[in-house]
Amino acid sequence: MSIVGLLPHLVNGLALGLLFALLALGFMLILGLMEQINLAHGSLFALGAYFAYAIATPRLPLPPDLLAIWAAVPLGWRFTAAMLLAPVLVAPFGVVLERMMRRTYGRDPLYGLLLTFGMAMVLEELIRTVWGTRDYMLPVPRGISGGFLMLDLIWSTYRFWAAGFAVVAMAIVWVVIERTRFGALVKAGAHDSEMVRALGHDLEKLRVWVFVLGTMMAALAGVILAPVWGIRPHMGVDAVVPSFLIIVLGGVGSFWGAVLGGILVGMVVGLSGAYASEWSMMSMYLLLIAVVTFRARGLFGKKSVLEA
Amino acid sequence: MALFEAHKLHLRFGDRVVLEEVSLSFETGKLSGIMGPNGAGKTTCFNVLTGHYKPDRGHVLFDGADITGRSPQAIARLGIARSFQLMNLFDEFTVFENVAIALPQTRKRGRDLLGQAYAEPALVAEAHEILDTVGLGARADDNAKALPYGERRALEIAVALASKPKLLFLDEPTAGLGSDGRDRLAELVRRLKGQVTIVVIEHDMEFLFGLADDISVIHWGQVIAHGSPAELRANPWVKNSNLGKLA
Amino acid sequence: MQKGRPIPTLTPSMIAIWLAFATVPLWIEKVGLYQYLGVEILIFATYAMAYNLVLGHSGLPSFGHGAFFGLGAYAFGLAQQNIAPDLWLCLGVAVGAAAIGGALVAAFISHRRGIYYSLLTIAFGQVFWFIAIKSHAITGGEDGLLKIERLPVRLGFATLELRDNIALFYFVLAVFVVVTLLLWRLIHSPFGRILKAIKQNETRARFVGYDVWRYKAAVLVLSAGLSGLAGGLFAMAQSSAFPDVMSLHYSGYVVMMALIGGGLVTFWGPVLGAIVFLLARDVIGAFTTGWMLWFGLLFVILVMYKPEGLGGLFLRPLSARAR
Repeated sequence: MSIVGLLPHLVNGLALGLLFALLALGFMLILGLMEQINLAHGSLFALGAYFAYAIATPRLPLPPDLLAIWAAVPLGWRFTAAMLLAPVLVAPFGVVLERMMRRTYGRDPLYGLLLTFGMAMVLEELIRTVWGTRDYMLPVPRGISGGFLMLDLIWSTYRFWAAGFAVVAMAIVWVVIERTRFGALVKAGAHDSEMVRALGHDLEKLRVWVFVLGTMMAALAGVILAPVWGIRPHMGVDAVVPSFLIIVLGGVGSFWGAVLGGILVGMVVGLSGAYASEWSMMSMYLLLIAVVTFRARGLFGKKSVLEA
Repeated sequence: MALFEAHKLHLRFGDRVVLEEVSLSFETGKLSGIMGPNGAGKTTCFNVLTGHYKPDRGHVLFDGADITGRSPQAIARLGIARSFQLMNLFDEFTVFENVAIALPQTRKRGRDLLGQAYAEPALVAEAHEILDTVGLGARADDNAKALPYGERRALEIAVALASKPKLLFLDEPTAGLGSDGRDRLAELVRRLKGQVTIVVIEHDMEFLFGLADDISVIHWGQVIAHGSPAELRANPWVKNSNLGKLA
Repeated sequence: MQKGRPIPTLTPSMIAIWLAFATVPLWIEKVGLYQYLGVEILIFATYAMAYNLVLGHSGLPSFGHGAFFGLGAYAFGLAQQNIAPDLWLCLGVAVGAAAIGGALVAAFISHRRGIYYSLLTIAFGQVFWFIAIKSHAITGGEDGLLKIERLPVRLGFATLELRDNIALFYFVLAVFVVVTLLLWRLIHSPFGRILKAIKQNETRARFVGYDVWRYKAAVLVLSAGLSGLAGGLFAMAQSSAFPDVMSLHYSGYVVMMALIGGGLVTFWGPVLGAIVFLLARDVIGAFTTGWMLWFGLLFVILVMYKPEGLGGLFLRPLSARAR
């Protein structure tokens, strides 16, 4: 395959990787502050996709008249509304999850893992109960759907848009973490929860807000990725593994590590997809195994709960 | 010839030099002390000597063989045992089993998947002998977790003794003990002296000066003084420092 | 473990549990259940016991054990169809294949512990699952490996057919008896006590001279092999093998079983957990299709309020019996 022939795969991989990075950043925020692995993170991602589907198609539990009015709104608006609203609607799930996880703080991290595994099963089953087991496709507004020709190749317009959305979302997250008091507190809390208390801040509240932020990032990634991946009940489990993989790869506690890890995973999946599309998802597990065998802390990692 | 020799050990963490040109030697049958203020690198030095960290440069010789950079388990099997400053026991085991698991007889049966553990009367007797040595004979069936602080210290030493060491490293054995507990521990260490070569890290000068045959002072990652307790008392640096006042 | 008080090979509770299982075919249909459920419970009880060797006794939280169970299931079917349809041979191949899989994983992860161990076992579990799904030619992919026969038990002097669920139940019970007996001896052996020591304090174990890596690798291989045995039995019971038993979900289910029953504190906990799990599946499943929704919630509540599992309520803690 020529270099030019590989380009679309690389671009697709990049788009996928940026979305993975967004998902993984939310996962890492929670891991960093709470020292807990949230295996339900993928389920929040899946909920985001389903909620977006309900808002955009629209299939909402509304009176018929209202629904008809909403359905008459152009898809572009409905899609935008889905992107903005779905994360907000998923956020309460994150709050409840954090509430439950409180009981595991200070105990063996295994319990947090078990609890969130249980919640992942619950949420997946909840999705099956509400939406059934079939696959859905999130429709994309005409302006950003379809493809275009460049260098004699057909490119998917939406993937470029998806990459753009992901970059914007991550830029916002970066500003929140690096340039606000909230971000400074989160970073301080990840190293030393006593210090946050000593500064007179409420660690409990901080944890809730971090969970909300992480949840919304997962849900937003779910919305943006839905038109590419499709929507199905086990998409949560399919997504949670890449997100912790990216964190292990990039290293816990590093924003740029997560971004680079995401891009790397996306590229590997994209490239291996060019040669053996059937096996493309497996490449990332092999990548993970290779990295942690040779570098335990990942590319940019600091010492963390993972090494306990 | 010295039983144990460290030759020009050098270790850095990131850009911080923790050990610089540290050379130490411990004679068979003697009790040697390492002292120095907190944060001087004593415990790090211990960790290098017992294989927990690998030095960047330098060599560690035991019984004439170079053991630099060997794994803790390999070093332990050669006959070097250690106790830990932060107590490091098998908390869910009984006092008896803490010692029994560390006996070489148990280790040699490590591939026995179906036989009864600790079935040999000789092993049981030996474990009890060690427990009697440290004064825990009556506590054999108690859970390690249930022991008071001082007795946990004693059990630390018992576990180290169980592996039949030629050389025993004790990391701040009196840390956190009251004067009563410290006296009892000093008594125990005195009894062990002569049976086994011992190296003790301490910042309790009284304890060390009363027991040690020779002492090395470590500060800022370097050995700044070495000699018998009497020689050290005369050392101007020790005299001028806090350590001197205590001694 | 107390000094000079040997642990008996057979204990009253052990015999009581075996005998209780032996009566199951007599009454299970009278309480509205069915014979096959008994077979399933025993197979998963064996699997959960094998798994708990790693989780409960060695403190290694594997989240990828489904791979070994699945390897056993596929190996059983493939051996039967490609080597020879002999029960002992096929079960041997199932154990061997799973143990080799375990050894491969162990080689990469035995220097890890805690959450990292979990994450890496998830990654390896996914790799095996992926291979099972994608290797259509060998495993039948998502359609599964079909036409696995329930092979007769050749004892030399007699041959027992296992086509009937009751006959299969008693065969699986015999395997269960042997496995639990072996595990009981194992956890009280020097090897088992050393694992327990490593679980409590890996650093200390290293400093008294134990090569921790080898013990952790060995226990994973053993546990994988026994999980493969259970997988082989399951392939025979189902007359087929499917990739879903290797998924993250199923790997999590066996963790649930071990934990629910109290595998962290009692020897028999995983057996109780397997019973509760499969009964809940059928009982809750009778009312709603989404049984995992409710069972998952119950599990989560258990983790929150009673992390040592149900076993702590019913059985004497392992620490009191066999410390």
